[in-house]
Amino acid sequence: MAGEPHKVQVQIDRDLEEIIPSYLDNRRKDVLQLTDLLTKNDFAAMKVLGHRMKGTGAGYGLDAISQIGIALEQAAISQDSAALAPLIQELALYLEQLDIVYL
Amino acid sequence: MATASADHILIVDDDPDICTLVSRFFEKNGFRVSVVPDGKGLWNMLDQASVDLIVLDLMLPDEDGLVLCRNLRATSDLPVIILSARGEDVDRIIGLEMGADDYLPKPFHPRELLARVRSVLRRTRSTMQPEKTARTHNSNEENIAYHFAGWRLDVPTRQLYTPQEEKVFLSGSEFALLRIFLNYPNQVLTREQLLEYSASKESETYDRTIDMQVSRLRRRLREDSRTPELIKTVRGLGYVLSARVEKVGDHT
Repeated sequence: MAGEPHKVQVQIDRDLEEIIPSYLDNRRKDVLQLTDLLTKNDFAAMKVLGHRMKGTGAGYGLDAISQIGIALEQAAISQDSAALAPLIQELALYLEQLDIVYL
Repeated sequence: MATASADHILIVDDDPDICTLVSRFFEKNGFRVSVVPDGKGLWNMLDQASVDLIVLDLMLPDEDGLVLCRNLRATSDLPVIILSARGEDVDRIIGLEMGADDYLPKPFHPRELLARVRSVLRRTRSTMQPEKTARTHNSNEENIAYHFAGWRLDVPTRQLYTPQEEKVFLSGSEFALLRIFLNYPNQVLTREQLLEYSASKESETYDRTIDMQVSRLRRRLREDSRTPELIKTVRGLGYVLSARVEKVGDHT
C-alpha cells in the first residue's frame, strides 16, 4: 500500500521471543549513545559498542546487527567519523523497519 | 527445565545481552546456568559451587580471558569453551594452546554453542569414565600404569610422572591423547584416528585442534618442539609415539 513504511521481515526462533524486546531496547539506547559519542569523538567507546553488537546480533537471529557492529567497530578503530554517522543511521533505520516473525 | 542434578554451566562474560541469551537457551535445554562478569566472579563462583563447564569470554574488564584460561588449566581440568569476538585464527590457536577445550567465535548461534558444550562434556566424561569405573568397582583392568622412556602415567589418578618422579599436570584432553599414544606405541596415528579414538568425532573439532593438543602434550613431556624424541611428526600422515611402552597392572 502506498505510503506504508518499508518493513524488513526477519524470522526468529520462538525460544527467543521473551528476550528479543529488551535486546532491541538496548540497541535503541545504543543509537542514542553512539550519536552522543560521535559528537565527542569518543572512538574507544564506539568501538566497544560496535564490538558488542558484532558479538550478539547473529546470536539473537539478527545478522544485520552483527554486520553493522562489525562496520562500526572497524570505523571506530580507523577513527573514521564520516563512516560512523551513516552506520548509526543505518542501525536506527533497521530497528525502525524491523518486523519480527517468531517461528 | 533444569534440575538439581543438571550440568552446571558457568558463563563468564560482561555483556548482559550475551549472558541473557546463553542463560535462557541453556536453561531451556535442561542446564543450570550461573553468570559472572569477570575473573574475580569466576574464582568466587568456583570456591562456592561445583561447575561442570565454563564458557569464557576473552575481553573481560579485570583480566584477560587467555590468562584466566591458563590459570584455570594450571589448577583444574574443568572443561573450558572460549566464546569470543576475537575470532582470528591466531586467537583461536592461542586459546587452544592455553588449554581451552574448544573455541567458538562471536557472532555465534546459541544452538552451535549448545552442541559444542554437549560435545565437550561427552568427551570429558568419556575420558573420565575409566577412572570412575576403577574407583567404583575397583576394576583391576583400569588399575594400571604405563611406563615409557622413564616416564610413568598412572591411570587411576591420571597423574603423569617425569623420570625424576616429579608430577606433571595433565588436562582431561591431554590425558586422553597420551593414553591413545600409549595404547598404540610405534604406530603412526593419523589425525582422523586420533580424533576418532579421543571420542571427539561428533564434535566440530578440526585437524588443527589435534595439532595444538599434540603441541601441548609435547610441552608436558618436556620435548623440544623442533626435535621431539617421543611424539614424532610423520609428515603428511600424523604422529607416532616412539618408545617402548610397558603396561603394569599392580603399580602400588
